[in-house]
Amino acid sequence: MATEVIWWLFALGIIALSAGVVFSRSVIHSAIFLIGSLAGVGVMFVILTVEFLALTQFLIYGGAVTVLVLLALMLTRADPSGRAEKVNGPQAPFALLAGIGVAAVLLVAALSTEWAGNTESPTNIAIEAISQRLFEDFGLPFILASVLLLVALVGAIIVARQEEGE
Amino acid sequence: MVPLENYLALSAIVFALGVYGVLARRNAVMILMSVELMLNAVNINFVAFAAYLDPGRIVGAIFAVFIITVAAAEVGLALAIVIRLFRNRATANVDEAATMKW
Repeated sequence: MATEVIWWLFALGIIALSAGVVFSRSVIHSAIFLIGSLAGVGVMFVILTVEFLALTQFLIYGGAVTVLVLLALMLTRADPSGRAEKVNGPQAPFALLAGIGVAAVLLVAALSTEWAGNTESPTNIAIEAISQRLFEDFGLPFILASVLLLVALVGAIIVARQEEGE
Repeated sequence: MVPLENYLALSAIVFALGVYGVLARRNAVMILMSVELMLNAVNINFVAFAAYLDPGRIVGAIFAVFIITVAAAEVGLALAIVIRLFRNRATANVDEAATMKW
């Protein structure tokens, strides 16, 4: 019973904060709503008893990604006076239609499908099980992912650095 | 306990909000934030499927780890490009950055 209450609390929180991200008029407010929304997803992982992913979520999304986004926002403010800018393009009504369409299709598909297996309660995924799968069966993808991170890091530095005579 | 369908519905709604944000916003950083929302919706789905339907093999949880890795790489590189764009063009508006070369 308590789990349900907490689930609904955080689910509605995630939806409200995500709506704040996409409907807010200020870019900084959007970024701060994003922090809350990503932390809420981390709580979802806790309720799903996947603690490793919850920790990763808090560390990488709650910490690194949102700080990076906030930094980029502050570095790319065209108008530092802070007055409300026009944040949506003229295509926004059509984007709303597309969003409603996507939501309708996904909801109908997810709720009308008969899922095979236990859909009532989650099974605990131990951190040992994740590490065993990751390092035994997904060893090569794991190494490729680390190379990807390194390449992206070097690429980001090269793209963003100030060149001579600029 | 909470049934699987609740997670799928939550993920669908967050994903649709992300789709709206990607299509409607003009600022490149705000589009990136909406992309992060969509990636997180997908992560909820993957982990929910792993915990409910696939507890023996947990491939969904492994996929979520890789999605988080790739999303971190993506956001770092994309923000570098946005900062570069802002330095050259003094704007982060994607409508004004329609040319490949200038």
